[in-house]
Amino acid sequence: MPEAYSIEQLRAQAFSLFERLGLPGRKLEDWKYTDVSRLASTLGETWWQATSEQPAFSAEGSIEDLDAYRMVFVSGVFVPAQSKLPDGVDVLPLADLLKRAQSDDSKALFKLDTDAPLMNGFVAVAVALAQDGLCACIADGVILDKPLYMIHVGHGRSHVLSGVMLGTGAEATLIEHFIGSTDEVAGLSNTVTYARLAANASLTHYRLQQEHAQQYHMGRVEVKQSRDSRYVLHAVELGSSLSRLDVLVKLAEENASCELNGLFVASGRQHIDHHTRVDHIAPRCVSRENYRTLLDGRSHGVFNGKVVVHKGAVKTDSSQSNANLLLSKKSEIDTKPELEIYNDDVKCAHGATIGQLDQAQLYYLTSRGVPEAIAKELLLVAFADSVLVGMKDKTVRRFIERAAFAKLPHTSGIEGLTHER
Amino acid sequence: MLEIKNLHVSVGGKAILKGLNLEIKAGEVHAIMGPNGAGKSTLSNVIAGRSGYEVTAGSVHYQGEDLLLKSPEERAWAGVFLAFQYPVEIPGVNNTYLLKAGVNAKRKHLGMGELDAFEFMQLVREKARLVELDASFLSRSVNEGFSGGEKKRNEIFQMAVLEPTLALLDETDSGLDIDALRIVASGVNKLRSQDRAIMMVTHYQRLLNYIEPDFVHVLADGQILKTGDKTLALELEERGYDWVKDA
Repeated sequence: MPEAYSIEQLRAQAFSLFERLGLPGRKLEDWKYTDVSRLASTLGETWWQATSEQPAFSAEGSIEDLDAYRMVFVSGVFVPAQSKLPDGVDVLPLADLLKRAQSDDSKALFKLDTDAPLMNGFVAVAVALAQDGLCACIADGVILDKPLYMIHVGHGRSHVLSGVMLGTGAEATLIEHFIGSTDEVAGLSNTVTYARLAANASLTHYRLQQEHAQQYHMGRVEVKQSRDSRYVLHAVELGSSLSRLDVLVKLAEENASCELNGLFVASGRQHIDHHTRVDHIAPRCVSRENYRTLLDGRSHGVFNGKVVVHKGAVKTDSSQSNANLLLSKKSEIDTKPELEIYNDDVKCAHGATIGQLDQAQLYYLTSRGVPEAIAKELLLVAFADSVLVGMKDKTVRRFIERAAFAKLPHTSGIEGLTHER
Repeated sequence: MLEIKNLHVSVGGKAILKGLNLEIKAGEVHAIMGPNGAGKSTLSNVIAGRSGYEVTAGSVHYQGEDLLLKSPEERAWAGVFLAFQYPVEIPGVNNTYLLKAGVNAKRKHLGMGELDAFEFMQLVREKARLVELDASFLSRSVNEGFSGGEKKRNEIFQMAVLEPTLALLDETDSGLDIDALRIVASGVNKLRSQDRAIMMVTHYQRLLNYIEPDFVHVLADGQILKTGDKTLALELEERGYDWVKDA
């Protein structure tokens, strides 16, 4: 059982861990392709100190027509006046999070596991310094009527630490939307989000990253699932100069399932890196992963998807697919699907492809009179569609489609397509 | 309408067509028969504009214009249509949207107004009935998960919607059972008219029972070696191709 300990202890422990770990260097295997040393050179030695002033919030860039419980964070600071919360969901200063936490389990939610995979200085400093965060405890059997919509306005340097707990049979949708402030001054948005799913709980998680072009974005999502629970992630990366997300899912009890969908649309000199790790610990769990990247300009994508099937996890069903389209000669992708299997009774598949547009498909479309530019567009949209199609919330999906397609290199006449589906 | 003179085509440095001559007039139906590897599919693809084929000599003119200078979409706008031997699956691209983009691009090119959504759906539904294609196919991704016969029917459906003046059918009959063949053939026959021409590439005489050709050509070793009427197809069915080559 987790020991009870105070917020001061947690903060101190996290900060000393941060001092020890610092910025991850490229000699570490998990950071081989992602150079964060420029954080210190751009933002200075105190890159980790949170900005003390927040600009006024403007809703521009958020999903305005979405019927949801909105929570606004500007530079990591919660803005109550702009926010509306359902009963039983709180946004609290971190110090109050632990006080409010009602069980040992919920306290454990925010406990720092120094030995966790992919642990790094960003996580430690977020736990040490986060000012605010969402604490959502959805009680047993409660099906939230509207999505929880967290709007993070990235301005300066900030840390946000959040936790979502779903009781037995509870269901919720969480949307984390990162939008850039208009000043476009380089800064750091650093977020850690924990989720715990009790038996038969279901969480759908959208994570849409649209920081401004100078922003550094660091994220971690850590999920632990009990029996029969379902977790679905849609992670869409469009903005920032450098973005890294680590997703860790523990399928801790029988018959839990997770689905991780990722879409990168990058251009210019953007660098986007996702590391995912799914631990199959219990028998009969299912994991599905589908990542697609469209890389233009001199952008650089990194995908590392690791699935670990532990000894007792018999009848594991896992599949992973990563497809990458390089739209320019200077764009680059480093992809590495990894499987570690410690028992014989499993069904696991993984694969990665890297390519350009399919010439046979292009010929087919143009031979029907579709102009080449539109044909290329159709194929790009179709490529992204394999990720978008899983998004059940129509409003969110349409918003994401528009934002993603607006970033594609060919963008004439595409509007009609998204409407007609 | 279509005039091919002394056409030489190489693929990857290998000569496939070696001085092919062919003239097709409006209203005519031509069947191109021949052994495997004779260059039948190459001929269809060179006319439709697929990349990767090098024309080393000769010319292809369509309605007086040099077809080889045009992109595949420009050829489609000029009225050329190829029904593929192996229709391509395009997951995520809607069948109807593909056709709408194609039809409206052509209309725009010809200086006509674009069809609105209602007009277009009327057109599409009418043509779908023509090839007995279930309306549910319209909202599916292009050829994705279609059976072999459904793919071929979809090709004829697209042809009916795009209303080409020159239709190239590349082994449209292969892999079809007798019912599907009848449907496909009736779709093609309904398109026959005085101002349209059809060139069909086939291995088998069977198709010609349903779509009666005006001319039958034997394509072998990259050239048209023999031309006759529909009785030539029967003779080929009986005697094979070697006697033509040896003659």
